[in-house]
Amino acid sequence: MIIELIQTFLLLALAPLVTGIIRSLKARMQGRKGPSVLQPYRDLLKLLYKSSIRSRDSSWVLSIAPYVCMAAVIAAALLVPVIYTGTFGLIGDLLLLIYLLAIVRFFTTLAALDAGSTFGGMGSSRELFISSIVEPTMLLSIFTVGLISSTTDLGGISMNMASTGLDLIEPSLLLAAAAFFIAILAENSRVPVDNPATHLELTMVHEAMVLEYSGKDLALMEYASMTKLLVFFTLMANIFFPWGIATSMDPIALAIGLLAYLVKISILTLAIAVVESSMAKMRLFRLPNLFTMAFILSLLAVIAYYILGVA
Amino acid sequence: MNLIDGLAATFLLIAILAVASGRVLSLVRLYSLHSIVLGITAAAVAALTNAGHIYIVAALTIALKGALIPWGLRYVIEKIGVHREVEPLVPLPVSLLICGVLTALSFYIVQPIVTGHDILETITKNSLPMSLAVIFIGFFMMIARKKAITQIIGLLIMENGLFMAAYAVAYGMPLIVELGVFFDILMAAIILGLLAFRINRTFDTVDTTILRRLHD
Amino acid sequence: MLFVSIILTSLAGALLAVLLNKRRAGMLIPYIAAALSSAMLIVMSAPVLLGHGDVILSLPTYIQRLGEFSLRVDSLSAFFLIVMAIVTMCVSIYSVGYLREYENKYNLGRMGFLFNIFILSLCMVFTAGNAILFLIMWEIMSVSSYFLVIYEWRRADSVSSGLMYLVMTHVGTAFIAAAFLLMWTQTGSFDFTSFAGIREMSELSGTMRSGIFILLLLGFGTKAGLVPLHIWLPRAHPAAPSNISALMSAVMVKTAAYMIIRCCFGFLGVTEVWWGLLVLLIACISALVGVVYALAETDIKRILAYSTVENMGIIFIGIGAAMVFQAFSNGDSTIPYLADIAALALVASLFHVMSHALFKSLLFMGAGAVISSSHTRNIEKMGGIGRRMRYTGAFFFVGALSISAIPPLNGFIGEWMLFQSLFLSQTIGDPMVNILIPAAVAALALAGAIAAACFVRLYGAVFLARPRSDHAENAEEASNSMLGSMMILASLCVLTGVLATFIVRIVDKVSASVLGTSIASKVVGGITLSTPDGGFSHISPLAVVIVFLLLLPLVYLLSNRLGGPQRIMREDTWDCGTPLGPRNQYTATGHSQPLIHSFGRYVGVKSEVSETKSSSPLIPARMKFHQEVEPVFERYLYRPIHRAAVELSNRIGWIQMGSIQAYLAYIFVTLLVLLVVFR
Repeated sequence: MIIELIQTFLLLALAPLVTGIIRSLKARMQGRKGPSVLQPYRDLLKLLYKSSIRSRDSSWVLSIAPYVCMAAVIAAALLVPVIYTGTFGLIGDLLLLIYLLAIVRFFTTLAALDAGSTFGGMGSSRELFISSIVEPTMLLSIFTVGLISSTTDLGGISMNMASTGLDLIEPSLLLAAAAFFIAILAENSRVPVDNPATHLELTMVHEAMVLEYSGKDLALMEYASMTKLLVFFTLMANIFFPWGIATSMDPIALAIGLLAYLVKISILTLAIAVVESSMAKMRLFRLPNLFTMAFILSLLAVIAYYILGVA
Repeated sequence: MNLIDGLAATFLLIAILAVASGRVLSLVRLYSLHSIVLGITAAAVAALTNAGHIYIVAALTIALKGALIPWGLRYVIEKIGVHREVEPLVPLPVSLLICGVLTALSFYIVQPIVTGHDILETITKNSLPMSLAVIFIGFFMMIARKKAITQIIGLLIMENGLFMAAYAVAYGMPLIVELGVFFDILMAAIILGLLAFRINRTFDTVDTTILRRLHD
Repeated sequence: MLFVSIILTSLAGALLAVLLNKRRAGMLIPYIAAALSSAMLIVMSAPVLLGHGDVILSLPTYIQRLGEFSLRVDSLSAFFLIVMAIVTMCVSIYSVGYLREYENKYNLGRMGFLFNIFILSLCMVFTAGNAILFLIMWEIMSVSSYFLVIYEWRRADSVSSGLMYLVMTHVGTAFIAAAFLLMWTQTGSFDFTSFAGIREMSELSGTMRSGIFILLLLGFGTKAGLVPLHIWLPRAHPAAPSNISALMSAVMVKTAAYMIIRCCFGFLGVTEVWWGLLVLLIACISALVGVVYALAETDIKRILAYSTVENMGIIFIGIGAAMVFQAFSNGDSTIPYLADIAALALVASLFHVMSHALFKSLLFMGAGAVISSSHTRNIEKMGGIGRRMRYTGAFFFVGALSISAIPPLNGFIGEWMLFQSLFLSQTIGDPMVNILIPAAVAALALAGAIAAACFVRLYGAVFLARPRSDHAENAEEASNSMLGSMMILASLCVLTGVLATFIVRIVDKVSASVLGTSIASKVVGGITLSTPDGGFSHISPLAVVIVFLLLLPLVYLLSNRLGGPQRIMREDTWDCGTPLGPRNQYTATGHSQPLIHSFGRYVGVKSEVSETKSSSPLIPARMKFHQEVEPVFERYLYRPIHRAAVELSNRIGWIQMGSIQAYLAYIFVTLLVLLVVFR
């Protein structure tokens, strides 16, 4: 119980740092010095002290959206194993986690329409487009994981996978992981799907949706999306590659688990930074190509499981 | 065994990537990669079954299909000045979905042979559905792409799939047959390259849909 | 006894509606009668669901050959009856307020009469224990709903929509009648109890069974609105007044699910795997096609109607999966848990039947309220209504959350169970199943995600931002009876989700009565739902709520603790310097454009942009965007059939020569032939 809470707090505490590191790494790769990795913490704190401006046209949907999104993200964070395979799994499984994050999507996209701003409408429309076509990929990669580890309980998956050791590098899991990675890029508005750094009208998706927020509301929305990114990273790290995760409460195992987690998250952070520095944002209507590719990957993952697993 | 499965999956994946790629040059690069994976698979089969002659085939595969033919294709592309876009007849997402269907279909077709007992006892039998899928995908690529160059690559990918299938069923063909096939492929590539030249010179394009005019 | 009083109450309601026409009481009493009989229906069915034995009512039978006319409430009937009764009760309450708008415009006596008859026929369809009786009731249901569809007969499209509905529903009925006749040839009786014997008839050939199955699927698929038999649904449901749309979408289409479950599992017994796969395939297509059309629409009621097509797809995915698993578990008992998984799929499907009935009637009622106050059905002319109609907006929001499968509402629970049952298909080693089940998972995921997009768009366009027309600006809150009924349904949507464990226990009894496998002991444990194989996964809806109830205040308090309490300033929306009017907002059509751009072309959505040139080549003087939905199914499937039929009737047209003597001769010859053959 304590460890579960601690690892959730760890995840919540690390979330802005991960975003800070990605920004800093990108800056380095682009030859800039960039802000400190701690800058997101400062930004969030600063925003918390400011007052919020809400549109006259908006209703209660816009007002409650930041709180609901934050609560849903924290609920999702409670479900993921971070350094130890035990979680608050009583609440639900991987599927619930995906649907908890769907709450975030539902409320952000709806609240984006609330102020009647054109930007909000555009962001909402595009976000729904992107997340809708990436959803089958998401579910099929989960399906594959469920097939391989014969459970969709998050703790159970890491447990089963961690105990198989290196054998688990099998084609279907790798394919599913690749598909899931593209889904992560899409769900978290990263390049090449969206550019988190842009404020150019024609290209922004996520930023367009949170344009109407300010002060505390903005702080919550930003923090929620940072946490969401880390939740997805943690899923990737501990569901597909659960090496080193602690399977018991033994302090040494936990220390190894922490270390392994930090290493895996750093690798993912680096991967995102490299992708974002080396690729351009894709045109919106080119995205289906990417997502169909991801979908095919996840479909192949399932088929590969049946070809190679059952036979 | 797991290694061969992984290689076969990569082999299939590259074929699908080839369908997904929008540039002619990256298509050639993918073909080269595809052949190299085939060569590595052959080497792995050789190592696992202690069959010496397969090493020769593996080396030849990598040298010929991984390097020589792609080089030749690139030469032709530059010479003719092929436009870099692939120009699909079927839009890319739909092509990809069709590839998914083809893969599922080949799995469905081959499944009884693979899982049935005593029919196929090779350690590589799991790669049979994937190689069949590659053959289908190569075929589909020839149907769904406009340019002569992309059709050649479709054919070559199909042929790679055939080799893979041969490894899956019987650890490859006898050496002399393989050598013969290599020679054939080389000739085919050259002839097709020349043909592309001729089509280009006659019609000022390598778009094969233009050939329909010959009908009149 | 209770059953007789239900029937009498409904009939009395119908009669009083005619007698009290054009009086004040005529707007109240028929609906009180309907609500009363619904309440009695719940009282009667609940004990059946709890296992106190079936309720049987024998009607007088005059023709012995047709079997015994009896009404029978068993578990399956009772479940559908309770779902129906909850909806009809709320709709009855709602109608009292809603129909005021129709006063002095249309005949309210007719409405009251048809309303009661329609509800009674629905109740009879769910309970009929005899094929002939069923067909009679089915016909009364279809005809009474037809008259309700054309109730607003002055509106241009209502009569033509009604006609299409009438034709389609009768084609469906013909298939059903054929299926029943085939079953009669096997059993020699029209009683459903004897039909159930078909399951055990080992001598019955597979072809015969499959033939009956196809007929049933065609017949009931028409009523369920499965693609491509759905064409009547998006026309007829919106054409009816909103209270009737709610009944049709929430209850009437469910009669098809009810009969498919009863006939396939109860009568025929699922013997062939491909039946399930076929149902699965059609259901996936229905879900996807339905939701894409819903996204392309701007008429609020048509959006809801198309979403019904989608949700029937989801329900039939569950039924199809259950059929596949059941067929495998019949053939092979070595695979563990297969019967349990079949039960899980059917439970999921039945759960979604209930969820859909609740949220779709809620949404139609909300739509009705919005339409009466804004006087338009076009969502492009709405906007900002949420501030004028606070409660309607809030209840509609609950419905939208529910239909978008937001946890822990009821829509989510059904989908969760459905996904789990599909995930568990891995134990089956059949390649066709291994390919089609992941495809169904993908289709369900895509349909679910697009449905969420569709309802974000709908809610945003109708209730949020600035009003787009004067009517929307001056919208008035709905009357108390309407709000009250919506409140009941909204709270039921939440409760059935949160307390899903209890509902699943009941639903499991229903599916156990059909499949013979009870999974309640494996699935429900305390407040958690698990998969029946022991350990694949589990979820606790109540825990989700508790976590949310803890986290929301926590987030609120913490964020207000850090950096001082929240200070809010009200300002204009960021406008880039030009004052924003109603036309500066994203339209609903614009909002769905990216998805329609990618998926619309496969179902015939066409859009074109035309521009008027101005002096500058870069800036056109005027741009116009036009989007239309080509009726693909009508054009490429129904028109050829229609043409062939016309052709055929022209060919044999010579029979009809217009002379009375010739017609008399036909009759005479027919009579002679019949007498000779059946002497």
